[in-house]
Amino acid sequence: MDKPLIEQAPPAQLLPDLASEELTALYQAHHREIFYLNLRLLGDPQRAEDATHDVFLKAFTKWKDFRGDSSCRAWLYRIAINHCSNLRQTWHNRHIFPAEEDFVEDNAPANTDSPLRVLEIKELGDRIQKTLDGLPEEYRLLLLLVADQELSYDEVAALTGQTPDAVRGKLHRARKAFTAQFQKTA
Amino acid sequence: MKYEKKFRQEEQQQVSENQLQSQQTIHDFATPEDMLRFDAKQTMTPNSVAERLNRSLKNQPRLAQPWWKRLFS
Repeated sequence: MDKPLIEQAPPAQLLPDLASEELTALYQAHHREIFYLNLRLLGDPQRAEDATHDVFLKAFTKWKDFRGDSSCRAWLYRIAINHCSNLRQTWHNRHIFPAEEDFVEDNAPANTDSPLRVLEIKELGDRIQKTLDGLPEEYRLLLLLVADQELSYDEVAALTGQTPDAVRGKLHRARKAFTAQFQKTA
Repeated sequence: MKYEKKFRQEEQQQVSENQLQSQQTIHDFATPEDMLRFDAKQTMTPNSVAERLNRSLKNQPRLAQPWWKRLFS
């Protein structure tokens, strides 16, 4: 069975104990974008960490059923989107709000960054989160998916349940909404 | 004294370069997607996710191997 994108994975280092090299490669190749999507959809680093764990655990247990109809990346995105959507509908999500200071650690830039840069990156991350939180859910997801250059418009369309043409049309409006909302966070 | 002056100059130059680099990298985004891409690059997955996954997998029933692996092992 041809399972694309696995070959892009760097050598397994982080997960030496994982059940197989294949799963380790899957994690290595995709954990960053899945964590980022979870973080920006949920708006809380701790919950994004939990969600990333759950998404990959689900993917690992379902791996043998994955037929390669879509790319691994799109398949993982599908699991993550559904998982975040379920979480956002729960009572806890509607009533518990993340603390502002939680965002300090999650966007941890490289240690070599200057304090000024660290501050700027943190501030930018906070503003992006506030901006995304202020957008309709449809626009938020669309922008986050389109920002991943490895996803095609067809894949974004499939993940958002629309046609590629509709994605292009809505993307234009989503960009405008993001820009307007981002200016409000200054 | 001379070294101190030189050191300060270098330090100032470094600060200016850092500021310029930060301004260039953070504020020059053509589209929201560019900004999100930059943000994504700065965001690291905590190592604890991998550790938790390992623990969780150890507690799970053994994953089924493909038939060809079972046959040839």
